[in-house]
Amino acid sequence: MSGLLIDAAVQPFCRDGREIYDYMDEVNRDRGFPDVESQWYQAPGGDYDESLYGKGYPGSDPEIASRHLFEDDGVDVAILNPRTRGNLPDFQLNTAVCSASNRWLAHRWLDEGNPHGRFRGTIRVNPEDVPGSVAEIERWGDHPLMVQVGVPLQSRDLYGRPRFYPIWAAAAEAGLPICISTNGGAGLEYPPTPTGHARTYSQYIAFMAYNYVYHLLNILTEPLFKEVPGAVFVFSDGGAEQLTPFIWKLDTLWLGVRDQTPWVDRPPSEYLKDHVRLGFSRLDKPPGDSVPIVDWLAQTGKEDVVMYASNYPFWWRNHPDDLYEGTTKEQTEKVRWRNAGEVYRGVTAEAA
Amino acid sequence: MSTIEVSGSDRTRTKEVDVRWVDADVHPLPHPGDGFLGYAPDGWRDRLAPRGHEISGVSARILDQPEANKAPTGKVDSYSPRGGPACSDPQFAAQQLLVETGMDIGILLPMGRDHRNPDYEHALKTTVNNWLADIWLDQHNQHRRWRGSISVTNREPELAAREIERWAGHPMMVQVLMSPQRPAYAFGDPKLDPIYEAAARHRLPVATHLMANLPYENSIKPVGVGGHFSDYISAWGLILASHLMSLVFDGAFDRHPTLKVVFVEGGFLWVLPLMWRMDAIWEARRSELPWVKRRPSEYVRDQVYFTTQPLDDVDTREEIAFTRWLDMAANLIFATDYPHWTYDDPKWALRRLPKELHPRIQHENATELYGLPQTVPALPGA
Amino acid sequence: MQVRQPTNKGARRSAREYVVCRQEDLPPGRMVIAPVGKFGVGVYNVHGILYAINNYCPHMGGPLCSGNVYGTNLWDDVRGRAEHVLDGRIARCPWHAWEIDVATGVSVADARKRTRTYDVRVENGEVVLTR
Repeated sequence: MSGLLIDAAVQPFCRDGREIYDYMDEVNRDRGFPDVESQWYQAPGGDYDESLYGKGYPGSDPEIASRHLFEDDGVDVAILNPRTRGNLPDFQLNTAVCSASNRWLAHRWLDEGNPHGRFRGTIRVNPEDVPGSVAEIERWGDHPLMVQVGVPLQSRDLYGRPRFYPIWAAAAEAGLPICISTNGGAGLEYPPTPTGHARTYSQYIAFMAYNYVYHLLNILTEPLFKEVPGAVFVFSDGGAEQLTPFIWKLDTLWLGVRDQTPWVDRPPSEYLKDHVRLGFSRLDKPPGDSVPIVDWLAQTGKEDVVMYASNYPFWWRNHPDDLYEGTTKEQTEKVRWRNAGEVYRGVTAEAA
Repeated sequence: MSTIEVSGSDRTRTKEVDVRWVDADVHPLPHPGDGFLGYAPDGWRDRLAPRGHEISGVSARILDQPEANKAPTGKVDSYSPRGGPACSDPQFAAQQLLVETGMDIGILLPMGRDHRNPDYEHALKTTVNNWLADIWLDQHNQHRRWRGSISVTNREPELAAREIERWAGHPMMVQVLMSPQRPAYAFGDPKLDPIYEAAARHRLPVATHLMANLPYENSIKPVGVGGHFSDYISAWGLILASHLMSLVFDGAFDRHPTLKVVFVEGGFLWVLPLMWRMDAIWEARRSELPWVKRRPSEYVRDQVYFTTQPLDDVDTREEIAFTRWLDMAANLIFATDYPHWTYDDPKWALRRLPKELHPRIQHENATELYGLPQTVPALPGA
Repeated sequence: MQVRQPTNKGARRSAREYVVCRQEDLPPGRMVIAPVGKFGVGVYNVHGILYAINNYCPHMGGPLCSGNVYGTNLWDDVRGRAEHVLDGRIARCPWHAWEIDVATGVSVADARKRTRTYDVRVENGEVVLTR
């Protein structure tokens, strides 16, 4: 059906909390830091698809994940994005954890666990450590299977800010998009909603899908694309259903306060297709046939930015058939692989 | 400028006109001549000393609207020849908004009286209520076109409930107004129940609106604060989205089935996808939410209202299509946001709203929600 | 909202022409609204050059010419920085601060949005507007 299928969001896990220590550098090997699992808002009953609990940690065995993704769901290429720890207060330790994650991913998933060659990886960096991030991107930028740079959604400042530009420039130089996605609540972070900590897991998980909007609007407002014209941002957690309402607000306000941000020299929404991608899941779209899906996807160019994202192995995991009912063939192809193929190097050629 | 006073002796002879337009978002400010501090509760007058920027004459807002240096409080043409901030002269405001723009009733929402100290905030809200009731709802309301909001602090819910009781019998106070910013509690938190109980008891809707963007009021957002007016304000609706999620998931609508909530000037298109997501999450996790007995979107459609301003300057057909998908004929209420620069002109707004919704949006939903009259006295010059 | 027009001493000269004022009554940096057409026409003297635009904002129909006049900020790709340019040529609508170039009637943000311009000239010491 409609050619390739690229899965833009799969989360690989370590087998247990100790495994990452095997990949820590000697200076930091004896340090203590929380596991990605140490999050306060864990889903009651578990964060992961029930069927994936069993002998190992869900999403920790490349062979099992390969079977679920490539055999059962017909995925051709899966982009793996491990969680790191958000903002650990010790920035050098956090950078060391990111480095360990990259060594672990390259070894366990992109080499040992990748006989079929269908896994791709994410270079995790610590945005609180700009030089450390740039060095990490330079270290891994040539790895043929690393296809993006990853940073935590839970930042201390919005990612359009100038202090991050050296990281984005290094990524653009290496031809890599920057993926902004939820990390576990393991590091320092602000309350997850603008009205404070949620009283229910339901509000937490519902609102987390919307926090990308803050980053997106800021990225489209700061001089980022004048300073780093090649930067591309991927919001792999989704939330595309709010793209139109909020990008319309930004386009509207820009007409009145454009002179405050003269570097934004066209309507902000016109930057989306070249610079932004969103993971797309069944929670990000109209339910059933309540809204004409073809028109809805076309509105503000959503069809040009959304990419299939399974969110394996989480409980809201998607299967490809969840997404395409009622869409045109062209829209389906864009969601399945064309939009991803435009930003991820080598994914369409190698899978073909 | 003609006077819009309707003198007491003339009132019985004044012609009545049908209410065709209700403006649910008008922002009065104290005029220097009002003696605002004189309305403070006992013991507070001297403590509510002017803040620094009130002496300096420069706005303290840290995310500046266009031309903020010349027009810090309103759109450029909304300043009265009597001086003072925009919309601080009830006569001038009535001339511009009621006579020239053709609004039949204006709901007044005073802004900008949040404070770090909850007691102080409560004193400020009390002062605002005393001032609004006297200047706008009594002295300059012979035409009976202005309606007021009871400002309360949601950081001291018991004090807020008492303030609601103090004003509930006032015939011109039609809703409760509380700040969504720097909340001690998200709106669904049971700690706010005293406010909702008092409001529901008196059939007063509870409205919320941005209060100001002074440094203190710009709370830290989950991943950082917007860097410019445009991205900060574009994302504003997310605060209301989070309060709405809390009202639903924390069970407030179940505890207060007659409560009505009005989200003013925070957008309304995002509500549609928000309902999709809340419904989907609720389906998946119902066992954790035994107090949420109905589908989340049902509470929203039954108990929540949204004002239309600011509509978006985008392709009109696309905007109308989205509003039709929203399918919320009973929940949308027109507003101009006078005198602010994001003002929506009524004729322009109608072109961007589905035709079949015009009567409901223009006046029907508001008159039902606020218990407004069907007619008001005609104004000279209107 | 009604347009509050400043009084001026202008006069109709013919079906197509209108004398706005004496030349000395419109020095550089000043604007006069001529009671021409449905909304009036703003006649600007920008550093000695006269321009005239409809007093009607292409956005919501606000009284465009009764707002403030500025320059604007544009990004200079060669220098890689913002520059303040077109000083005195940008009328900002008093309603929503849209920036309109009085020389062209075109919105700075969106060139598809424009208000009507008029020919204006000085003849025998008088500012003459052609409808």
